[in-house]
Amino acid sequence: MENISFYVDDKEVIIDVDPSTRLLDVLRIKLHITGVKEGCGEGACGACSVIVDGVCYDSCLTPVANVIGKHITTIEGFRNTPQYRIIADAFADFGASQCGFCTPGMILNTYTLLKKNPHPTEEEVRVALSGNLCRCTGYNAIVKAVLDIAENGGDIEW
Amino acid sequence: MVKHYIPSTLKEALEVLDKHDCYIMAGGTDLMVVKHQRSGLIPNFDKDVCYISNLEELQYIFEDEKGVHIGAGTKFSDIEENELVPEILKQIIHELASPNIRNMATMAGNIANASPAGDSIVGLYLLDAELELVNINGSRMMPIKDFIFGVRKIHREKNELIKEIFIPHHDDLNTYWRKVGSRAAESISKITFAGGYEVENGKVKDLRMAFGSVSITCVRDRKTEEKYIGMSVEELHNHVEDIIKDMGKFVTPITDQRSTKEYRYKVAMNILKDFILTIE
Repeated sequence: MENISFYVDDKEVIIDVDPSTRLLDVLRIKLHITGVKEGCGEGACGACSVIVDGVCYDSCLTPVANVIGKHITTIEGFRNTPQYRIIADAFADFGASQCGFCTPGMILNTYTLLKKNPHPTEEEVRVALSGNLCRCTGYNAIVKAVLDIAENGGDIEW
Repeated sequence: MVKHYIPSTLKEALEVLDKHDCYIMAGGTDLMVVKHQRSGLIPNFDKDVCYISNLEELQYIFEDEKGVHIGAGTKFSDIEENELVPEILKQIIHELASPNIRNMATMAGNIANASPAGDSIVGLYLLDAELELVNINGSRMMPIKDFIFGVRKIHREKNELIKEIFIPHHDDLNTYWRKVGSRAAESISKITFAGGYEVENGKVKDLRMAFGSVSITCVRDRKTEEKYIGMSVEELHNHVEDIIKDMGKFVTPITDQRSTKEYRYKVAMNILKDFILTIE
């Protein structure tokens, strides 16, 4: 066990934990941030996506030792931002969320895409979300929602 | 009880490796899958772990007159976006795993994992990449083709760390890349092929052919390639069946959960034929 510190949703966290513990387990079990989902547990579905220093990671494959000193944004912190509201509204308008299990990961990956590339092509959207599996929507509704934000999102600062 | 070492400098890391036999954890995208037990339990490591993901000294890309140097800690997504990196490696990385994994994983990890289906390895064989291995006493260079000698078998001493991947300049090499998997993203390759050629005044000046996922290591044979260097492009095209026969000797795939040996062999040869016939 070792004291490990990092930031989650802008709050400093110091925990005494085995350094190989999955970041996913630290977030869900120790910090009760259950908005972060566990799907496959082997890096294939993207449900456990979190933003680490600006880019999305699969938290199920991240040993907590790898995020020492880093800034992590989960869906629970991101939901308080105006950017979240725009993405969530578009997902609602296009029926891009059904069971909702993939949605936290989809939204965070949508955000990191738009931050880097505010006007992506359909191909770029599909590539950016290619690590996030959805078993309900067949993806088209999600892609349409993201493309709609890109076209009609106005001058939002991503 | 296994111990976990989280060094903050390369020197500290090498001191740890000098005293302890460790798993070296970079992005974790292979080790954390293999050692995972179940939700809520810590991974099942059977020896000590040394974490190198946060060593800034290993995160760099620069070029000199000889080639491009990629620090072992550099993530795939940073490599893909860097203008110094050869185009074929960018193509390979673009189709490798998923965006999240590319943000976490390192090319050095892909090499050290030494899976026959490690995609970046095929491009690095094609480009004659070399690895710089360091220990507490110094460093040595080793071509990647000598470093990997079997399925998950590498010539790394216990006290060594891959510090850098060196890729010699190949400014005039035209390249060709094909990956065959079950889907576009996140698929583990059934067959990969990297080809390279240079043509000058209608004559083949260089020819390179590397297959992945069809043998215990990446397959490339300089002797076979040299047999066809010096031919005119037309002669090369006329020899396509001979090239298939020559390279076919090294293509010894197996049947596993991803594909069958017959499919792999046939498709590998079709890709090789396509590559040869696109040379002009």
